Amino acid sequence: MTIDAKLIEGFNVFRELDADELKKVAELMSPMSVTEGEILTQKDKPARTFYVVIKGNFMIEFEGERAFTIHEPGTVMGWSTLVTPFTYKGTAVALTDGEVVEMPGNRFYELIQSDSGLCDKVMKRINRIIEERMPFMKGELTGSEQKLTE
Amino acid sequence: MTGLDAISAANGWAIAVVGVTIVFTGLVLLSLAISQLHKILQMWEDRRRLMEQVSNKWKPRLQTEQKIESAPNAHDIKETAKQAKILVQFIGEPFPLPKLLELSGSCGIFKPYSTINALVLNKYLIPDGRGYYRWNSDKKI
Repeated sequence: MTIDAKLIEGFNVFRELDADELKKVAELMSPMSVTEGEILTQKDKPARTFYVVIKGNFMIEFEGERAFTIHEPGTVMGWSTLVTPFTYKGTAVALTDGEVVEMPGNRFYELIQSDSGLCDKVMKRINRIIEERMPFMKGELTGSEQKLTE
Repeated sequence: MTGLDAISAANGWAIAVVGVTIVFTGLVLLSLAISQLHKILQMWEDRRRLMEQVSNKWKPRLQTEQKIESAPNAHDIKETAKQAKILVQFIGEPFPLPKLLELSGSCGIFKPYSTINALVLNKYLIPDGRGYYRWNSDKKI
């Protein structure tokens, strides 16, 4: 079951996409309910699914038990599906019941590989997310407030 | 009677076929078990998370609904915060949030994941900017 493109048009990661591009992405997505304690991604495991939060609260745990929580709709989990070596960098767990949209990572990767315009727009946003989360992965946080918006 | 006649007379051929079948089946099962051993070992390593996932999936719907109805209110969150503060003091600050979650679960705190989430949203637990968390001493409990 695919989703309506309107559901994702306001999300930061897809903000620059036009209607056709949004439709192509939405066709790959399907809604999924999650329950409290459910694990969506596991660190160091092959990254196969890309998730976007619709509703609910999540935590992503990295090396050294560093973690942050996610409460905003539109937040991306599983960006590793688009970046080599295609292994998850963190473990994402649902803190409450919620809803996400899921997308097979390989099909999303193929889509953005086949469309340079779409690739440029999506990867620009994904790179920002990686930049924000990289310090959590590497333990290089300075202690200043980290704002995770995506 | 000797030779092949003797074998036939004593059901030797049938016994030989059964023997070969048993040995061959055993070897096939053994090779399958060895080929899947890495998966079994991985499942064993992830057993705690798998158990949690399975128990969450199979919880009766009614029980889930009852739990949603009884989500912590303002009074409950203060009570829970008292329990959580003891755990935080035990772990020491700054502390990793996953560690507090694990300890909350093993100490029997009701719905540890959503409870910790409520503590974060209500700013009882605040990020220290280095990937760990601190107890917000400004919050009264």
